[in-house]
Amino acid sequence: MVGMSVLRSAAAFVARLSPLKSVNKVSNLLTRTIPKTEQVQVRWGHGKQLFVIKSSSYYDTRFLHLLKYYILLTGIPVAAGITFINVFFGEAELAEIPEGYEPEYWEYYRHPITRFISRNIYDSPVKDYEKMMAAIQIEQEKGEHRLAHLEVRRQMRQRGDGPWFQKETVDKGLIDHSPKSTPDT
Amino acid sequence: MPDDFDKDVYPVPPRRTPADNKQTSLPSPAVIASKLFYYSVDLPVTKFRECIDSIQSGHKSVYYHQRFRRVPDLTECEEGDYVCYYEAEMQWRRDYKVDQEIVRILQERMRACTQREGDSYHQNCSKELQNYNDATKAFLSRYGDLGAYASGRKCLMKQKERMMDAQKA
Repeated sequence: MVGMSVLRSAAAFVARLSPLKSVNKVSNLLTRTIPKTEQVQVRWGHGKQLFVIKSSSYYDTRFLHLLKYYILLTGIPVAAGITFINVFFGEAELAEIPEGYEPEYWEYYRHPITRFISRNIYDSPVKDYEKMMAAIQIEQEKGEHRLAHLEVRRQMRQRGDGPWFQKETVDKGLIDHSPKSTPDT
Repeated sequence: MPDDFDKDVYPVPPRRTPADNKQTSLPSPAVIASKLFYYSVDLPVTKFRECIDSIQSGHKSVYYHQRFRRVPDLTECEEGDYVCYYEAEMQWRRDYKVDQEIVRILQERMRACTQREGDSYHQNCSKELQNYNDATKAFLSRYGDLGAYASGRKCLMKQKERMMDAQKA
């Protein structure tokens, strides 16, 4: 606005603020300063405003929001906990087994959480091994007993001198020998 | 700080950087790049590591390498002694894992050597290549086509077949 008087520029500025007032009509002031309300600046190039018909993205956005929410609900505490443990407890370092020392079964693992689980939740691997061997021994003895049982049945049936495979007969004392007790006369 | 790798097993090749023959007083871009890398990557990482080490220094724990006793083999078990079979089977599985790791280590050494030597690996890495090939042949002949359900018994039967073939030939 170089070249215009200060008063004119002040009046033009005030007129711009409310161009519809009759005081500020275009013809009242020298028209070089006010753009007319009919001659609004029109910016070309954005195109006509259209109503684009798309399918609803409500369910998609809702699903993704819920997915992120439920994953992060436990994900963030777990990640924070593991970071805390890794920073403040730290992994163990490999060392030679000292003379005459028998390490506990959890001292064979590196990460502190693995050590914790092994120490407090799981049984020691030696105990698991022995449990398995006990189960195997019980099943082995059962199998051996079954085979022995079959063999004993076979022998007793064949020889007849054992307690099994005996047939119940009538008591000897019940036999009436009187018809044959006296000789024929 | 954790130790560097073993320089005897993975030797570092001699440096081929030529001697400095500076004819200008401008800084060399190699020095600029190395300083940039140092200040942007090396220094922060080292500081972070030292910080974490200082936090953990009071209560460091150790872990040990477990050694298992040798138990009687499958060939030394009496027939029907399933407990002996179980112990032999567990020992065979541990030995299988150990053999896999041995082959893996030899393979890694061969690959490191190949990477170091570039195109001349055929003659410079012959020892590593020979070791790896021998180990792989032995591994395949022993554990070769046993499959996912491999067991000590199947391995023993495979050995029997091998011995029969060797006797025929």
